[in-house]
Amino acid sequence: MSMIEVNDLVKWHGSIEVLKGVNLSVRRGEVATIIGPSGSGKSTLLRCLNGLETFQGGSVTIDGLRVGAHDGAAERARVQRQVCLRVGMVFQSFNLFPHRTVLQNVIEGPVYVLGIHPEQAAQRARRLLARVGMSERLDALPRQLSGGQQQRVAIARALAMEPQVILFDEPTSALDPRMTTEVLAVMTDLAGDGLTMVVVTHAMHFARRVSQTVHVFGEGRIIESGPPDQIFEAPSQEATRTLLSEVLAA
Amino acid sequence: MEENSGASESDASPTDPSDPDHFLSREPVGARPVVVGPSGPCSFPADRTRTEATSRRLGRSQLFCLGLILTGLVTLAPESFALAEGAGLDYVRSSGKLRYGSDMEGGGPYAYPDPKSPREVTGFEVELMAMLAKDLGAAPEFCQGQWEMLLQLLDLGQSDIVVNGYEWTPPRARAYLATRPYYVYQLQLMVPRGSSIHTWDDLKQPRPGGGRWTVGVLAGSAADTFTALEGGKNVRAIQFSGSTDAMTAVQNGQYDATLQDVPAARFYLDRFPGLELAGPPESHGYYVIYTRANDRALRDALDQGLARLIARGDLRRLYEKYGIWSEAQRELEKLTGPPEVISGRQAEGGWTLVSRYWSSLVEAACVTIALSLCSMPLAMLLGLVIAIGRIYGPIPVRAVLTGYVELIRGTPLMLQLFVLFYLLKLNPWVAGIGGLAINYSAYEAEIYRAGLQAIPEGQMEAALALGMSRWMALRRVLIPQAVRIVIPPVTNDFIALFKDTSVCSVITLIELTKEYSILANGTGGAIEFALAASFLYMMMSLPLSWFSRWSERRLGTLGVKGGAVA
Repeated sequence: MSMIEVNDLVKWHGSIEVLKGVNLSVRRGEVATIIGPSGSGKSTLLRCLNGLETFQGGSVTIDGLRVGAHDGAAERARVQRQVCLRVGMVFQSFNLFPHRTVLQNVIEGPVYVLGIHPEQAAQRARRLLARVGMSERLDALPRQLSGGQQQRVAIARALAMEPQVILFDEPTSALDPRMTTEVLAVMTDLAGDGLTMVVVTHAMHFARRVSQTVHVFGEGRIIESGPPDQIFEAPSQEATRTLLSEVLAA
Repeated sequence: MEENSGASESDASPTDPSDPDHFLSREPVGARPVVVGPSGPCSFPADRTRTEATSRRLGRSQLFCLGLILTGLVTLAPESFALAEGAGLDYVRSSGKLRYGSDMEGGGPYAYPDPKSPREVTGFEVELMAMLAKDLGAAPEFCQGQWEMLLQLLDLGQSDIVVNGYEWTPPRARAYLATRPYYVYQLQLMVPRGSSIHTWDDLKQPRPGGGRWTVGVLAGSAADTFTALEGGKNVRAIQFSGSTDAMTAVQNGQYDATLQDVPAARFYLDRFPGLELAGPPESHGYYVIYTRANDRALRDALDQGLARLIARGDLRRLYEKYGIWSEAQRELEKLTGPPEVISGRQAEGGWTLVSRYWSSLVEAACVTIALSLCSMPLAMLLGLVIAIGRIYGPIPVRAVLTGYVELIRGTPLMLQLFVLFYLLKLNPWVAGIGGLAINYSAYEAEIYRAGLQAIPEGQMEAALALGMSRWMALRRVLIPQAVRIVIPPVTNDFIALFKDTSVCSVITLIELTKEYSILANGTGGAIEFALAASFLYMMMSLPLSWFSRWSERRLGTLGVKGGAVA
């Protein structure tokens, strides 16, 4: 059964059609990567999944909760809230709360959104931060951390909500190679856990080694999907070959 | 004329009339002759009212400083500023000009803009000066000044005499030379038509329906003093900053009566159809012309001129023309010199006065504090709601709020206070706190809007992605960060509001600036009162600065830079 179903998703930014009828399906527990040139609409697609963007056509169904383009505003908002509780997101620019410490960032959602007791939330947060290797910096402020450390905290923050799905929006694009490695290591670790992950990335390595399905995105639609071996070894589309050659050349 | 005034409600029977010091301790401070308030909707066309109010607002904040500077200059550097003996008459002779200090904002019938030619000034004092100047072989020159500051301007040589309903008082008579009286003023009670009050004595009876009779007076005026001394336990004085303001409020039914100088009462009676005169005039005092203390020759020349005008009947004809002649004026013929300074009484030193009036200053400072502390939190709260509405609200809400901000920012605080007090007829404290809060909310809203928009968009997205509602995201994530950004500008506004409380004197809340100007003008201890008031202002604003620095230090350690690199 699929965790995520996207049907004919159409999104306009003013007069520009950003998504031109996207269809996407992600199984429960699957790790899916979306690769494609910058500006092709990958991030927008991801943001439509958890309601950060609205769309004008088609529908998104997550864990059985369907949001359609033509639903009434109230209905859409209601469903969207529930969707948000099942979907976590990790941003390219981390977006940690700068006025809160590492630990406070991680317990913010559980305490204020889920209503978990702060002590209990803190215990869980410490475990999660240990898992991402941030146990030493519980009381640090975000600006005192490196980018890689901030991103690992952001992952812990998303995990703390116990989501069914985590969306990663180019999680390593703002990082240097060493920090990229440490963040990808954490993500690889999570992938073994049965969490459903959708990762927009330029890290081909990760796409190839960790994900079960790779979706190639271009010009507002998915060009080709398949297991990594097939996509990287024997792409069926010319656009995919071009993309891969550019990335590998870089 | 009164620009600031404040208003407060003072107890009408504060002192024991049997105390021999009593009259001096409550010296009349000025028969405020003047007075037109900006509320004088009847006295000026609307556009003039607006510009007047604007200029008042500017003037007010400067008044206090100006007082300090002027008194400082005059007192600390007497050598360089003291004008030569007899300089006044010499100047009149050599230049052919008689420069007299007056304030046309004071209103009719003293000196006011000529309705037929608004750039010209007219009034019975203006015509009187024309006659006196002619007598001296000079041309009159009107020197506009803030009413309270006219004597200081005289010291500086900006004018050679002061004539603007300045009554004779012992402190003034000690510091300046007074001419013989040119008018015997009395106080006239004005009440709403059909009122049960028919004479001043009616106010001595208990007020039907309980409470005390409320009598509007010009703050610091002879009427104020008279009401305090003669009002008895059933009367409460409400201190206004302009005569017509008091008339407006009484006509509105906000208060029971107003006590006015006879000339103002007669001049404005037909413009306030809802008012009528009650009983015969009460009390009695003298308007005189003041010169500098060393200008005896000029004073004597003016005395002679007045004597001729009185003897020829010119003065009577002038007063009849303005409808302010009364039988009491017959006394003018007999008063050939200024009233004598009561002998045996030493002039009191400024610091003695300050210590005597210290409690009034502290009380006024409390009004300032109460107004600031009550209105600023409201302004901040209201501003926050407006800012959030403008950023996140639906489009019609945004449009309405934008209009609100532009309207409130674009109109003077003083006019807003007038609307709340004279049109909506709110209690003065409600109008004052509400007016300040509304006025400042527009400014706070813009500060918060800037603060909220300075937070990277990723913060809201991260909060929403955690499942927060927009409102919770604002409360938990955006506002705490914006607060750190807006502390300095909001502190700035708090200090500005703190000083703007002085505008509330126009709706009868007498705060520190107004109290200072009443006391300085009425008692002659200008520099000491200025220093005392400055001291109180410092005592009030220092904690504010400390608090602001403390909160910046405390909150500022958590910057907003950390989270959002992209």
